[in-house]
Order: sequence, then structure tokens, then C-alpha cells
Amino acid sequence: MKVSLAIDGRAREIDLANSDDASGAQIATVEPGVYSVLMDGRSYEARIEQSDGCVIVFIDGHRFEVEIRDPRRWSRQTGKQGVEGRLNVTAPMPGKIVRLLVAAGDTVEAGQGLLVVEAMKMQNEMKAPKAGRVVSLAARVGATVAAGDVLAAIE
Amino acid sequence: MFRKVLIANRGEIAVRVIRTLREMEIASVAVFSDADRTSLHVRMADEAEWVGPSPSTESYLRFDRILDAARRHGAEAIHPGYGFLSEKADFAAACEAAGIVFIGPSAESIRRMGSKTAARQMAIAAGTPVVLGAHETLGAPADARAFAAQFGYPLLLKAVAGGGGKGMRRVDSDGELDAAFRDAASEAERSFSNPDLYVEKLIERPRHIEIQLMGDRHGHMVHFGERECSIQRRHQKVMEECPSPLVAACPGMREAMGEAAIRVARSAGYYNAGTVEFLVDARGDFYFLEMNTRLQVEHPITELVTGHDLVRLQLEVAAGEKLRLRQEDIVWRGSAIECRVYAEDPYNNFFPSPGKITRLTRPLGPGIRLDGCVYEGWTVPIDYDPLLAKLAVWSGTRPSAIARMLRALREYDVAGIHTNITFFRQILEDEEFRAGRLHTRFVDEFLERRKPFTPPPDLEAIAALVAAFHSTRNAAPAESARAPRSRWLDIGRQEVLR
Repeated sequence: MKVSLAIDGRAREIDLANSDDASGAQIATVEPGVYSVLMDGRSYEARIEQSDGCVIVFIDGHRFEVEIRDPRRWSRQTGKQGVEGRLNVTAPMPGKIVRLLVAAGDTVEAGQGLLVVEAMKMQNEMKAPKAGRVVSLAARVGATVAAGDVLAAIE
Repeated sequence: MFRKVLIANRGEIAVRVIRTLREMEIASVAVFSDADRTSLHVRMADEAEWVGPSPSTESYLRFDRILDAARRHGAEAIHPGYGFLSEKADFAAACEAAGIVFIGPSAESIRRMGSKTAARQMAIAAGTPVVLGAHETLGAPADARAFAAQFGYPLLLKAVAGGGGKGMRRVDSDGELDAAFRDAASEAERSFSNPDLYVEKLIERPRHIEIQLMGDRHGHMVHFGERECSIQRRHQKVMEECPSPLVAACPGMREAMGEAAIRVARSAGYYNAGTVEFLVDARGDFYFLEMNTRLQVEHPITELVTGHDLVRLQLEVAAGEKLRLRQEDIVWRGSAIECRVYAEDPYNNFFPSPGKITRLTRPLGPGIRLDGCVYEGWTVPIDYDPLLAKLAVWSGTRPSAIARMLRALREYDVAGIHTNITFFRQILEDEEFRAGRLHTRFVDEFLERRKPFTPPPDLEAIAALVAAFHSTRNAAPAESARAPRSRWLDIGRQEVLR
């Protein structure tokens, strides 16, 4: 069968026949998510990690982002979030709010820093996902937040 | 010898200490916070005690809870590891008061070395070189000019009350002096409410080289040679080696540094393991910087090259035994390198990358030593330093040790989180690194010149093939099967995409 994909943004088409590609490569699953590939007498090992809508392939420390364009999978693709309307800024991982850079009601540019969250001794600035007005700011300095907590909303 | 020892630490160093305890048939007691219930040191120890919630101020830094745990388990001694309580003189004193042996120097030695100015005074008194400078506060630019006339430029004006680079100015010539003096004094006034300045000779691109010491409680002390720790990022060491390429090229330098380090430590009545840090200039002249009164993170490379177990020696000395080693018994063989593997993303400003380790393949084979605390399925907690493991290699020569480290890093696979493994591969391939031209600004300069980590051309086709193969085999992966990964990175990526 044929699979269309984009690797680091470049389109490619792969023809798979059972475990053998038309080019003569041999693929074996050696561990969950780990594949051994023999091609032209050379041996490669590739490791897979799944991410939203794409497959990340690691070979010898090199990272490839592959987007599968198999028609059956189109429905699984999620479109890019629009910039219209209200957008929530959520905590991407657990941490502690150390500083607020804006106040509710402020007008912000896209990419402007909103607040600073600390995790693992590192401070990370959360930025506005779009230009607009800060309609709510739930975060307060010193508060511990869990992943997914809504910190602010921009409209 | 002790029958039971408590380790007042976590992570890889707790695991490291437990290993030696087990070899010595001493029972180990681990302590842990809420975040560390399933951590490796708890799994490996013979006994374990909960000491509080995840924040270290409520657990690993609580003297009372640690001492309670030691009493409850009948531990006769406490190994503090590094960080946390290891350099808290009050904790060493509290152990002593509780009749529990603190595995380290005396509280008094820790206190004396803890003050940088006091340590500098001690070094001067011991005849160990310190960075050349005037001891008095400068009254006017003319005083600095007199210093420059005697010792030359460049020099460094520093705030007496200073810290964090504030009130500090480099001066390269007489002409710059007045303005630099004015700027530095006014910045010092603004930052510390004290405009006083002093002057030091500036060391250009210094190396950071340190000497490992071990002394017993009967007045005998030896040194285990040097470690070069010039590869630093944000003033944190990330890669160390033994021997130092510079020291290896300068006959007599190791002995001179070792003797100087012993002189300083002796003047503080020091015993147990300690490390004296030096700045070294391009000519190979060395200057006392400070003394670390504990076991260092990077101690494994010294162990690999000298063949001695420093933790075992610490335990023996702490138990009151005499150090049987004489200086001439310590010999250095081959070359060792250590890489500190962190949960961080070297391509996204080294952001921390906590999360679950979904797959782990460790480097094996000749000459490899891995001091780690990770296992497949473990979640790296957000509460502590993201050090996952220290990968150290030994080989007969520096070039073969570099080749071995590159080989080991290629075998090392950690999935689910980001690590700095590929960053080390790039440094090890760097010409300047290979030539041994190291200094403390090395990483900053390397990050400016480093090329992208580009894959050989054949790999893209393989990656495409495997992705296609994988997607047909796993047409509808369950949500739960998706590897968790750093959300900070996702954010970073969204930023880039916008």
C-alpha cells in the first residue's frame, strides 16, 4: 500500500508491501516503538514517539517530524486553533506562579509575556497566544498550578 | 565501621552512596518526600522513611525530620550527599549534638570555608595564591592606576559589597579608568547602597580546575589530583574530565596544585572529602577560588582514574579510621570524562523537560559508568534539579575517551522527555574541545558557533519509511498510548509557528 506523508514539511510517498518497502528495505519491530531497518546492507534503528497529529522518528539522536497524510487519518487531524474569539492560556505543566506581567483589562500584543511560572528551578514566561484584551487573570503570585489550569483568557 | 547509615539526599547521589554501603555490608536508610515515593533510591535502600511534602524546604532540608528518621531507624551516621544539607554547618553540629556521625568535615570547617572572604584570607595565610588584588578599598581612580602601574591591565573593578556582576567593570587601559570607576561606584551605590570598590587583576577566559582531597581525623591528608570543570553553562558544570588537558601538559602542576590545596584545607583543620577550586590562567598559574566541603557531583571521574572509591574512604574516615593511603600510593591512569545528563531541551533554551520516561536504553560495554536515578516508567518530578544521570567513561587516552563517550551517547536513548544528550555529542565533535582549549566561557562561545545537528542524508528516507510502516501498524493509537512530552516545548513550538 501507498502512504503519503510530509517529513519536516517535505512531501514524500512511501510504498509499503507487507514489511518490505519497494526500495528493498526490511523492517522489523524489535521493541515497542523501536524498529530495526536493513537497507542496502546497512543497519539502522529508529525509535518512534507519537505526538498530536504526527509521528516523531528518532534515528541516531536525529529527530524527524512526520505527518501522515493517509486519507483514513484526515479526520484525526485537528485544525490549528483560530485567532478569533476568546483564547484561554493554560498551564502546560505543574508549577508555581512567580510573577504577573499584566493585569486584567490590559491590552496585549501577540507574544507578549503574561506571567512567569516556575518549575524545576526554571522560570518560564507564558505568552499571549494572540493580540487582544486580558479579560480574566485567574493566576495569582505564589499559587501552585496544575497542568491544564486556566491562567488567563485573551479576547 | 557503621552498621547502618542514613542518606539525607535523593536522586543519583543517594543511589551512588547506597551502592557503596551495600558493598560494605552496611544497611542503608533512604529518606523521601511525597514526590519521591517511587524514586530509585527508595527502591534500592534497605529501609526508608518519609520526611515530608515535595518542596525540599519541607522535607530534605528539615534537620528535625532527618534526625528523627535517623534515630527511629537506628542509623549511626548520616551521609549528606551534595546540595541540600551537605554544606550546612548547623546541620553537621546538630548531628553531632544528637550523637550521630556527620559524614563530612567538622561544623567549624564548613563554617570557615563557607565565607568566601574568610576562605580567601585562609588561603593567603596558607601561602596559596589567590587572584591578585588590592586588599583595601579604593579611595580614588588613582589608587587603581597605581595598582595597574605595578601589575598591568586588564584589571577588574569590583564592588566590595558586590554580587551577581553588579558594580563590576573590566578596565583595559589608563584612559578607561576614570569612567569605569565612576560607573562601577554608582552602580554599586544603587545596587548595594555602598559605592566602595576594590581592584583585582582580570583573568582572561580562565579554566576551572579543582583538586580532590581526603583527610582523616588524625591529621593525615592526601590529594587525588585534579578535575577540569571548565565546561559550564550559567555557572553550572555540565561536563568534567580527569586529567585536565592543561595539567597533563604541564609537568609538576598537579603536585603544585595538590600541595597548595592541602595547605589551605589543613589551615581550616579539615578532614573527610573536600575539593579546592582554582581559576587557572593561560600561563598555567592557578589561584584559589573556594573550597567545597562535601563530595562533588563529578567525583566519579577521579574514582575511574585513580581506582579509589571516595564514598568508601569517606565512611572509613568518618568512622574514625586512619587513612591508610600515602600520597605516593595514588596514581593516575588513563583519562575519564563525565557528562551530566539533564531533563532539558538543548534546542529550546535548555528549558526543563519533566515528564514520564516512556523508554530507556542505557549505554553498556567497556569503560562505561552510569550513575543515575531513572528507570522506564518513572516520572521526573518537577520539584528538584533535573539531573537524570551522570554518564562517565574511562579509556587509556583523552582521544579514546572522547570516542568512547561519543559511542556511549549514541547508545543512550531516553524517550518521553527531552535530554541534553545530543548537545554533548556536538561538544565532543568540536575542534576546540578536542584540542583541549577549554575555559569557563567555552559553552557560551560554542553555542554561538555550533552548527545545526543535521542528519546524514540517508536518514530522512529511513525515517519516512519507518513512520509509514508504524502508521499502518498502529492505525488508531489509543489516546493513552501517546507518549507524554514536554508541554513547554509544545508552547515553544506554537510560538515559532505563529
